[in-house]
Amino acid sequence: MSVETRRNLGTVRLPAGFNGLLPALVLIVLFFVVPVLALLLRSVTEPEPGLQNYAALLGDGTYARVFFNTFLVASVVTIVTVLVAFPVAWMLAIMPSALASVVFGVIILSMWTNLLTRTYAWMVLLQRTGVINRTLIAAGVIDQPLPLINNLTGVTIGMVYIMLPFMILPLVGTLRAIDPMTLRAAALCGASPFQAFRRILVPLSLPGVAAGGLMVFVMSLGYFVTPALLGGTSNMMLAEMIAQMIQSLLNWGLGSAAAFILLVVTMALYALQLRLVGARRMSGGL
Amino acid sequence: MLLDYDRMGWLRVALLGFTALVAGFLLLPVVFIVLLSFGSSRWLAFPPPGWTLKWYQELFADPAWLDAALTSARIATMTAILAVAIGLLASFALVRGQFAGREILRGLLLTPMVLPVVVFAIAIYAFFLRLGLGGTTIGFVIAHTVLALPFAIIPIATALEGFDKSIEDAAIVCGASPLEARLRITLPSIRIGIFSAAIFSFLASWDEVVVAIFMASPSLQTLPVKIWGSLRSDLSPVIAAASSLLVGLTLALMVVTALLQRKVRT
Repeated sequence: MSVETRRNLGTVRLPAGFNGLLPALVLIVLFFVVPVLALLLRSVTEPEPGLQNYAALLGDGTYARVFFNTFLVASVVTIVTVLVAFPVAWMLAIMPSALASVVFGVIILSMWTNLLTRTYAWMVLLQRTGVINRTLIAAGVIDQPLPLINNLTGVTIGMVYIMLPFMILPLVGTLRAIDPMTLRAAALCGASPFQAFRRILVPLSLPGVAAGGLMVFVMSLGYFVTPALLGGTSNMMLAEMIAQMIQSLLNWGLGSAAAFILLVVTMALYALQLRLVGARRMSGGL
Repeated sequence: MLLDYDRMGWLRVALLGFTALVAGFLLLPVVFIVLLSFGSSRWLAFPPPGWTLKWYQELFADPAWLDAALTSARIATMTAILAVAIGLLASFALVRGQFAGREILRGLLLTPMVLPVVVFAIAIYAFFLRLGLGGTTIGFVIAHTVLALPFAIIPIATALEGFDKSIEDAAIVCGASPLEARLRITLPSIRIGIFSAAIFSFLASWDEVVVAIFMASPSLQTLPVKIWGSLRSDLSPVIAAASSLLVGLTLALMVVTALLQRKVRT
């Protein structure tokens, strides 16, 4: 057997330029795909083979509440984030660049600051005796402290705070890509500013809004830290429930099944988003 | 004239006002926490009755905080090195390779960024318990590298896509070996991408809470785990002091990034 043939037998033939992917693929398959699949296997084998974990999760009112609440929080957070982000992205897209870089600096600082630090700050700001309540009472706006924490309000404020950069940054790109001439043309043809906004600016920026909004929604669905610290026990979200099932109750079967439900919903929405923007453009947010 | 900054009239005033409000909202917690860390009230009253450095003294007097910070720095540094090395190799293959299923593989490598961390956290926790890697530095580094890899690949691949490969080919024509051309021509040209990848993957590990909560053992705690534990027991101002130091680190990283970007432009 010649050296050449032996080499061909000994190595699997890989396509040109593929080798560089091997370390990454080994890492991801061995320490991501395999553990996640093993977890899913647990959801149908523990405590005994069968689908009873899923039946328990989907048939019980307590769990149904958690699912409902997760979708509720994610929806509210997404809507508020879109409404707040749009005007800011709009201004950032057309503002003089010196001014815009100041605003970008603030956004990056907030985004890069440690997640727990930001959440801790909101806990202190929003608590019963916190700055916001005291200021409002001192100003005579309210007599009793508002319940701003351990409820939907607290989670929404904390989550919108975290999600805003992820919505604003890609949206600036979308808005910058719109040709200002289209709006000038609309004005020349007699459109009022409101009509131009509703019939030109909004439709043209819709792909960016949809992509960003979907990303915020998906991230919110599985969020753990902020809801766990700013939310209340009565409006627990899915990620926290999963953590509790594993960490405190050691119920691996039920916890894995809940994790699988979260995974399927997330991946389905991710696939939808890939269709909207394409895998390459996903990186725009960084 | 909705996209003409100079001809928007009152609308510009309204939108600028709103943008300023949102910028204030984004800045509020960061500034607040730094001010609070110098406030003398144990109950976090604001404005503080007086100014003090005692929370910083308390922070530095407790070896558990320093220990946690050093553990985090060690794990994040190893994670960043691994993620950048693996991400660099993968990016070359993803950008330049000619093979079917490239987009699918790209999607697979970016999945850890999208999958809810809590799902990965319990999966890797269970897996490492079986392998005996739970609560070990190597376990932390592996888990964090999985999470950091997308943040390494995205900036490097983007930089590589913007690099004209014919320059590398020219170096080879002029007698450089392919490896030499890559090391001496291509890598320096995409260094900003590599540098961003290093910062992002460092931060991905340094800030990571969820996997860390599951993986941590009493003898191996990262900084976020230590903060998480303190947050759950009380809202002590010592956390504000620790947080302010983290804000300082973020600012330092931002300044370094901005300076490097400016250097490249000029």
